Amino acid sequence: MRKMIVLAGSTSLAAVLIAAGCASFPDEATTRQIAEKMMHDGFPGVPPAFAKRVAQDRSQQICSKTGNAKLTQQESADVVKLARASIRYPASGKLIGDWKVGAKLAYNGSGSRIRGGKLEKAKAGNGALCSNCHVLNPKEFNVGNLGPSLAGYGAQRGQSEAVARVTYERIYNTWAYVPCANMPRLGSSGHLAPEQIAHVVAYLLDPQSPVNKR
Amino acid sequence: MPRKVGGIAAFALVCLVAGGVTPALAQSGDPLGVGRKMLAEDNPGELWVERGKTLFYQKRGPKNASLERCDFGMGPGQLAGAYAALPRYFQDTDAVQDLESRLVTCMVALQGYKRGDLAKTAMGNLDRMSDVEALVAFIASRSNGMKMNVPLSHQKEYDAYKAGEYIFYRRNGPTDFGCITCHGENGKRIRLQDLPNMTDRKQLQDVVTSWPAYLGTQSNLRTMQWRLKICYWQMRLPDLAYLSDISVAITSYLNYQGNGAVIGVPGVKR
Ligand code: HEC
Ligand code: HEC
Repeated sequence: MRKMIVLAGSTSLAAVLIAAGCASFPDEATTRQIAEKMMHDGFPGVPPAFAKRVAQDRSQQICSKTGNAKLTQQESADVVKLARASIRYPASGKLIGDWKVGAKLAYNGSGSRIRGGKLEKAKAGNGALCSNCHVLNPKEFNVGNLGPSLAGYGAQRGQSEAVARVTYERIYNTWAYVPCANMPRLGSSGHLAPEQIAHVVAYLLDPQSPVNKR
Repeated sequence: MPRKVGGIAAFALVCLVAGGVTPALAQSGDPLGVGRKMLAEDNPGELWVERGKTLFYQKRGPKNASLERCDFGMGPGQLAGAYAALPRYFQDTDAVQDLESRLVTCMVALQGYKRGDLAKTAMGNLDRMSDVEALVAFIASRSNGMKMNVPLSHQKEYDAYKAGEYIFYRRNGPTDFGCITCHGENGKRIRLQDLPNMTDRKQLQDVVTSWPAYLGTQSNLRTMQWRLKICYWQMRLPDLAYLSDISVAITSYLNYQGNGAVIGVPGVKR
């Protein structure tokens, strides 16, 4: 907060200094231009498929406000709308897969990283990354806390069609529910396939899953 | 402070004001914490410092020259306090440079090394110690006990700071991560790895005053260039170019906010 105030203060001063021909903080548009050029130049020699990762989509642009400034109502609505439109379901129509497959995925934090110009190999597809940020099985301690604990998730909510759908959609693209949340849009970005997400849904909901055991 | 700003004398006074607009500094009460002091007594990073010292004064490279004529901002060969005031703008390269970029500029210009070769070997491994890492450790250590004092006076320094801030909050890639996602809240972890909240001045100051650092998990000394490369790897972006403008801008943004905190390097980390 203090930082913001200081910057604001020096920006108003900046106007005076620019008039005087002195150096000062660049305005927002200039900053964007300078920084985007840096982003463009910062990952040279990569194939187009990788280069695409550096560019932002519309939602990412909206979700990148400096100082975590609040979204306007319009921006929130836009992010939700784009997220909604992006959601795809498994061809089978089944939103609940195999919880045992889901368990493996949920604790797998690998896949899709790039080193030396090569994409990380992922035999069973990308890991789902969940345990990087969430408690799942309450007995498993090697887990992060960027997101809320999901222990007992299915036990608390049941396994109705409606619960399965919401859970599926939150994994596919949680920005449809919480615009700009810190949770990645794992389905929309292509990191996870719809069938993989259905397996993870099963891991969260199935009564036999360790998530729902005490 | 406003060393490089406004060659026109009439503006000097106004510009002085600009240089003076620095954030009110929250002084950390215990700059060299007890924990860090204890670690420092048995700090494997000192090996890199010693090696860097030898390398610095040796005649090396195709031009068989030492680095004693390298200007890190305090004048040729003047190392005391140089790291405390980096990144900064350099007239000869017309660019803002962090310590590592500046070092590479000198190794190319004075010693005749090829930039591409240095980029390939800058990050060492267990079989091959890196000269650059050792030199960075040595030069940075010459600011130990001094306060971070990164300048903001040349236009390009302002630009780098703001670009760094912009990039810190820029969410990108298939996991929508920005630096802010992992480094924006207190007490957060990715799995069991503690994540410093770099929007908190005290935590940020602890971070920027302790790089370069010896990393136990790497059995190696690493620089901020390495750290940022790894964070971008975790973010699933392509390989961040060595000495990219991105890394210099982020370092400008972070180090400037560290101003006033006391440097103690190499740090020791997991
Ligand atoms: C980078 C960290 C991160 C990762 C990786 C992540 N999440 Fe999340 N998750 C969050 C955050 C932060 C929230 C809270 C904001 C929100 O609701 O979207 C959240 C919310 C949720 C919610 C809503 C919880 C509720 O109380 O309604 C569910 C369900 C969820 N995550 C499941 C998952 C699953 C399953 C995975 C793996 C496929 C996963 N998350 C991966 C960070 C993460
Ligand atoms: C996916 C999470 C994640 C993202 C996103 C991320 N980092 Fe990190 N960062 C980490 C982890 C994990 C560590 C190591 C922490 C540890 O060793 O305990 C780390 C460490 C650091 C450190 C060293 C901290 C210290 O204690 O000295 C710096 C500096 C840093 N990151 C900067 C950045 C910047 C700048 C960005 C954006 C370009 C970024 N990180 C993005 C996870 C992340």
